[in-house]
Amino acid sequence: MIARLAADTRVVAALGTRSVKQTVRRPQLAAPLLIFPTALLAIQTGGAGRAVDLPEFPPVESFLAFMLAGAMVQSVLLAGNSGGIALALDMEMGFTDRLFAAPISRFGVVLGRLAGTAMLGAVMALWFIAIGLVFGVSFQEGIVGVLWVVVLVSATALAFGGIGAAIALRTGRASVVQGLFPLIFVILFLSNAFFPINLLLEPAHSVAEYNPLSFIVEGIREPIVGSFSATAQLKAIASVLGLGALGIVLSAAALRGRARRGS
Amino acid sequence: MPAIETEGLAREFEGGIKAVDGVDLEVSAGEIYGFLGPNGAGKTTTVRMLTTLLLPTAGRALVAGHDVATDAAAVRRKIGVALQEAALDPLMTGRELIQLQATLHGLPRSRGRELGDALLHRVGLTLAADRRVGTYSGGMRRRLDLAAALVPEPEVLFLDEPTTGLDPVSRQAIWEEVQKLNAEGTTVFLTTQYLEEADKLADRVGIISAGLLVAEGTPASLKAEIGRPHLELSLADEAGPVERCDEILARFGKPLPSKDGILMVELEHGAAEVGPIVRALDEAGLAVESLELVRPTLDDVFVAKTGQHLEGSEETDETEAVPP
Amino acid sequence: MGRRSLRAPIVRSDVETVRALVRRAMNEITRVPGAAIPGVLAPTIFFLGLTAVFGNLTLLPGFDSSSYQSFLVPVSLMQGAAFTGAATGVNLARDIEQGWFDRLLSSPAPRPVLLAGLVLSASLRALIPAFFLLIVAFAIGAHWPGLLGLGIALVIVMGMGVVAATWGTSLALRFRTQSAAPLMQVGMLLAVLMTTAYAPLELLTGWLQEVARINPVTQVVEAARQGFVGSVTWGETWPGFVALAGLAALFTFTALRGMRRMTL
Repeated sequence: MIARLAADTRVVAALGTRSVKQTVRRPQLAAPLLIFPTALLAIQTGGAGRAVDLPEFPPVESFLAFMLAGAMVQSVLLAGNSGGIALALDMEMGFTDRLFAAPISRFGVVLGRLAGTAMLGAVMALWFIAIGLVFGVSFQEGIVGVLWVVVLVSATALAFGGIGAAIALRTGRASVVQGLFPLIFVILFLSNAFFPINLLLEPAHSVAEYNPLSFIVEGIREPIVGSFSATAQLKAIASVLGLGALGIVLSAAALRGRARRGS
Repeated sequence: MPAIETEGLAREFEGGIKAVDGVDLEVSAGEIYGFLGPNGAGKTTTVRMLTTLLLPTAGRALVAGHDVATDAAAVRRKIGVALQEAALDPLMTGRELIQLQATLHGLPRSRGRELGDALLHRVGLTLAADRRVGTYSGGMRRRLDLAAALVPEPEVLFLDEPTTGLDPVSRQAIWEEVQKLNAEGTTVFLTTQYLEEADKLADRVGIISAGLLVAEGTPASLKAEIGRPHLELSLADEAGPVERCDEILARFGKPLPSKDGILMVELEHGAAEVGPIVRALDEAGLAVESLELVRPTLDDVFVAKTGQHLEGSEETDETEAVPP
Repeated sequence: MGRRSLRAPIVRSDVETVRALVRRAMNEITRVPGAAIPGVLAPTIFFLGLTAVFGNLTLLPGFDSSSYQSFLVPVSLMQGAAFTGAATGVNLARDIEQGWFDRLLSSPAPRPVLLAGLVLSASLRALIPAFFLLIVAFAIGAHWPGLLGLGIALVIVMGMGVVAATWGTSLALRFRTQSAAPLMQVGMLLAVLMTTAYAPLELLTGWLQEVARINPVTQVVEAARQGFVGSVTWGETWPGFVALAGLAALFTFTALRGMRRMTL
């Protein structure tokens, strides 16, 4: 049993490394993940930056400080989608069949891909933190805050990766997962990723109040612009766990479905 | 005026790769010229240069009397092209493709319609004419490609590996069509990796290997250059006097060393001597059990010139189908 | 070269060729079910999202419009045109990869005619997401720009389609692979966003204000925006047209050069 677990861990690690390498070696896949959110961050900061002058805007050091969290969440959402696309492509190519036919647990295979997505999440967090530092953002909760941000973002990447994987497993088609791209932006618009909740117009305002993404963004944003608050962090953790659980349940169901169908 | 004429034609790619390294050839009007060579030899690159899709890096080429480098537009008006990748659009119907080709050649729409009917009928695609190309089989796509190449009533028709990947029936159909076209006066420049195709269709064959033309001539003359046909026979009565047999055979040609009991003799004058040999052996009381006339093939020519076999000598990348 | 010595500059066969190529390009939408939907919906989705998120920017002093919808509509119109044009480039890259483009190149059709065929379809197709967007925008309260303002905006949409298509075509001819697609799409998108897209020039902060000031696309955005936020004047219009013409000329040059290089 221990040996089995050890073997599975090695597999997960190997597959995780592979999925990271894949992203690095195919820059056209990496571009939307980092360059695009970064460019968008720069543009939105420049374009809407004066919003901090609005009386209702929450007290922040700068608009950039406010936006970092949204940019990170946008990136990991795209990473989760991208991981789903990669998994679907593997499936279309038949590579996953090779893995599934081997004596490793199927779930371990998926987890391997997710491990790669989580690693990517950590890298993205660090990237935006670096950008923040370069452009004068001081992280209010210091080193602890920064580490917490990295952890939370990686966990979020894992959770979104799980959902992306579930969709890939269910449909088996990269084009379907790809088609969800606009949906990502819809979810982001209906949250506080880009603007404070109290300043959103309807229907975004109402949806954002209950959107788990808002809680996650808030959890990441707090240590950057202010100080930790238990409620916000608990809500964030609960949201991540909830989405993660959703991803696991959907993935497991999709895997079972595949096993039953023999595909 | 030759239909195609090249002088030192060469194409070098980045990294110093010489895909075509100085080819001199001449194709007469009304000829079928077969350009034979293994994958990677430079056939496609040569065709792309002759059809103005690629500029030579050295040398020159004249097609239908026009220079491919300086007078490309004139060349394009006189050629028909069917390349290796059947350049088709899966969303169009066969008829629409013919009409588009006609438009590209500046022909009025009415002419395009006429050509559509005529050419599609010619290649046997009338029934499929209004179906989308995406639904066509491989053989149908090649035939459509050929029909499209015929739209401008070309002086010179370029066919780049027209039957690769096709089943024998489709292949035969294409061959017949090429012969018919040639009978009507169209010069055909055909590249292939199949010796049977070159042997059967071509008036003259040019063998290319590693960017160079290593041999050129009619299939018969090339083969004759390499060697004469030889007869392989075995006698019914194993214990028969082999020396006696050798003596008889020596009258007709040069006996070759026998192998596994099979006697061989190189024939001076080819198949015409088979009958007399058998009669002579028969008269001597030596019954022939099996007999085979073995002619040199273009592969033998290729081996003689390059040291390698033609078919099955592809430059393949033996990489596993595992994603990176 | 002896190509055109005995013929008029634009011959009927050239017009026919352009027409045939445009018709072929339309197949992408008419013959592939659902293919048009993402391109048509995306600009509208972004429009709705951005107005809901950044709508309250109009509260800032110096914002010369009280309706963010009206302010943003021209930007979304141009985004739609940009994506349509980029798609032309992606399709060309695919056609090059799959050998279809060889058919066009080995025919006697002149290169500029081939380019015109590719690009004209984009400018027409750009109107499709535009109409859809306008209906939704007016439904949520965008200001009616008047026929002149609307006309100018639509002309700009078509012009932007040409610019984006020639940009996409240039990239397709340079890289000859569909994996250049993100560059085609993102490039145009950023060009449209690095303008007075989100806010008027005075309210842009730092580097963006400088970039927007010199970015020719800003003139285009302002020209398209006129009717929606105020009155239409020639003074606001001509810089946008000049910018579009200049960009179109630039990318047409790179595209034609790219076609010539296909044989090198």
